[in-house]
Amino acid sequence: MNDRSARDEAVDRFAGVSSAYYREAFRKIGARRGYVPSFNVAAALLGPVWLGGRRLWSAFWPFLIADLLAVVLIAFALAGGAGSELGARADRLEALAATRHSEANAANGRDATSAIAKSLTRSAAALEQAARDARRAAEDARDGAFLIVVLGGGLVAVARLGTGALANHMAERRFREWRLAGDPDKAGFSLPHAAGAAFLLAVFIPVIAFHFGNRALFDAFPSEPAWNSAAAAWLDNAITAMSGAVAPAATALTRAINTMLGLMEAVLTQTPWPVVMAVILAIAWQLAGFRIFLLTFFAISYLALLGYWEKSMQTVALLGTAALISITIGIPLGVLCGYRRRVAAVVRSLLDFMQTMPAFVYLIPVIALFGIGKPSGIIATIIFGIPPVVRLTALGITSVPASVREAAVAFGASRRFILFKVDLPTAAPSIMAGISQTILMCLSMVVIAALIGAKGLGEDVLHALQYAAQGQGLLAGLAILLCAIVLDRVVQGRQSR
Amino acid sequence: MIELEDVWKVFGSDEWAVLTEARRAEPDAAVLKRLRAVVGVGGASLSVGKGELVCLMGLSGSGKSTLVRLINRLLEPSAGKVRIDGGDILSLRPKALRELRARRIGMVFQSHALLAHLSVRDNVALPLEILGAARTQREDRADELLGRVGLEGLGDWRVDALSGGMQQRVGLARALAADPDILLMDEPFSALDPLIRHDLQTKFMALSRELGKTTVFVTHDVDEAFRIADRVVLMRAGRIAQAGTAGELVSRPADDYVRRFVANARLPAARDDPPAKARAIA
Repeated sequence: MNDRSARDEAVDRFAGVSSAYYREAFRKIGARRGYVPSFNVAAALLGPVWLGGRRLWSAFWPFLIADLLAVVLIAFALAGGAGSELGARADRLEALAATRHSEANAANGRDATSAIAKSLTRSAAALEQAARDARRAAEDARDGAFLIVVLGGGLVAVARLGTGALANHMAERRFREWRLAGDPDKAGFSLPHAAGAAFLLAVFIPVIAFHFGNRALFDAFPSEPAWNSAAAAWLDNAITAMSGAVAPAATALTRAINTMLGLMEAVLTQTPWPVVMAVILAIAWQLAGFRIFLLTFFAISYLALLGYWEKSMQTVALLGTAALISITIGIPLGVLCGYRRRVAAVVRSLLDFMQTMPAFVYLIPVIALFGIGKPSGIIATIIFGIPPVVRLTALGITSVPASVREAAVAFGASRRFILFKVDLPTAAPSIMAGISQTILMCLSMVVIAALIGAKGLGEDVLHALQYAAQGQGLLAGLAILLCAIVLDRVVQGRQSR
Repeated sequence: MIELEDVWKVFGSDEWAVLTEARRAEPDAAVLKRLRAVVGVGGASLSVGKGELVCLMGLSGSGKSTLVRLINRLLEPSAGKVRIDGGDILSLRPKALRELRARRIGMVFQSHALLAHLSVRDNVALPLEILGAARTQREDRADELLGRVGLEGLGDWRVDALSGGMQQRVGLARALAADPDILLMDEPFSALDPLIRHDLQTKFMALSRELGKTTVFVTHDVDEAFRIADRVVLMRAGRIAQAGTAGELVSRPADDYVRRFVANARLPAARDDPPAKARAIA
């Protein structure tokens, strides 16, 4: 009994106005599990203003948006909707048809069989038809406008009914939070908060109404094209300056990548094909077992028989170089991120940037720095492909149990021992998943790399895209897919099963 | 053998400030709270003789696991002295400290802390690998120890294929691999069910008697402590409440807390083994 009265007292303090109503409503809500029907008329009538006044701001915004959307719909429809534009077009066409008609009549009066008279008559008929179509479209749109008004009205009704039906539940939840927080200051119906909510409505609704009365002011944001071009010009200069400054380094890097790629390509394409195929099959069997051997055999047959062998070897060389560089940089970087939380935070945002930025965008500076050709393709591929191996290596290192590492320390292990004999082996499954992901990401870049002059299967897909050769494109795409699957499975080896 | 002298380990936003405040006669609770201070071990002094088996006993959070980690500097003491055979541990350079840990101190953990990617044998041989022993030598030694703990023939198994009790025996074998003279055991049997725990206690006591290692054994179980220990150290809130034999704790408890703690403990009927000192000399 005592407890109940304490609760009632709290409700009184919380509700401020009409506390008797809320005492009853909260008791009903608390008495049963699940949704208890409870309708708050004041909330339904006032809508967002009530929600604001009760400080239910997280509910205020969706209901405000519902109200504004309804207002937009109604105002749009009342301003004639799409019908007004279509109606104007019909008027124009009718006037044109009428003049053409009178011209035709005049021509017919002079000589009904002349070519001019016939063509004028035809033209007048066509215009009349067009005018009729436009009129019908305008009328349809006008009928549609009525539907839009109904929709807008319905939206308001649903929003208000929803507010009313949910109001007491939201208030009750807020009441419980308020009681837990023990904050008696933020109770009652706040007039300033309600006024704030009303102010937002009072600003937005006239703006919407005004917009549909006079389209001139709010149709487009007053953008400043000069700022855009100034910023672009500044970036142009910056890139030019940078490419000048790092040109020697870029050249050296390009040369290094070219050497590496040349070596790979020479091995894969200059060796007679029976040798390369046999070696690939042997590696597949050795590393990944019989099933992957069969898969590899099938893939190689497809590539060879359909004439993709040379190109697929070029692709594998390109991709292999990119993946190798990604992994060589990525694993140590991932380990560093696993050990140093601050480095990890910086690197993580950088990786997010690299993965989110569309590939076509970072092609621009890459081309500016490294020119068109294979090295640029490889660098773009690395940018896109390196994040997974870094992330998953870091994840693997951070998820090594602290107790295991502590045990190694207790037995006198040095840091180097812990890294190579404890952390890396324990993180190995995660790192392998990262390597596999990186290879697949690299492969998905071959088409884009082909765009800037990297040869191989991507080139075929690109050609197919340019000349709408669906069949060719699909075959080349399938060839890329097969390369990806075989590479992934072979690298994963036996442990993945 | 092992000597701790007024050793402190405090945690907090500012270790030095926490230590200063905690060492006052009357620490200010508000200051400690502001520093988010936790006193892991507060002014513990303890010496463990050669061949002695000392149990650190207390509730969770009483600082016993922290204290045992100060002996091999898995945790760096905030203040105080830690000596092994008279040599100051805290002044050791990293390389010398690793050497000491590897050759002289074996440790067993509650969570086993075995390496999942290695076989049972390679796990046992880990300390020898750290010491740079040759492969055949490590494997022979590991197999010998697996026999000692009753796991002969399981060297090639994966560790996660073993039961909890067996994994803990692997942990014990690993701790013994480098033939250290000190054993630190952090609640080794706590996670096991009672029957297996009792069984492992019996085995461990036999092994301990045979090998005569100086042992610090952490447990929250009074019965376990009384059963295996030469001397029991009861800890409370980071401080040593009382140190003595099981009989002393029961018959002459230092305060009410000790009395309540040991109230329902079973005293071992009669210890048939000779006292630790005699054992060590023999």
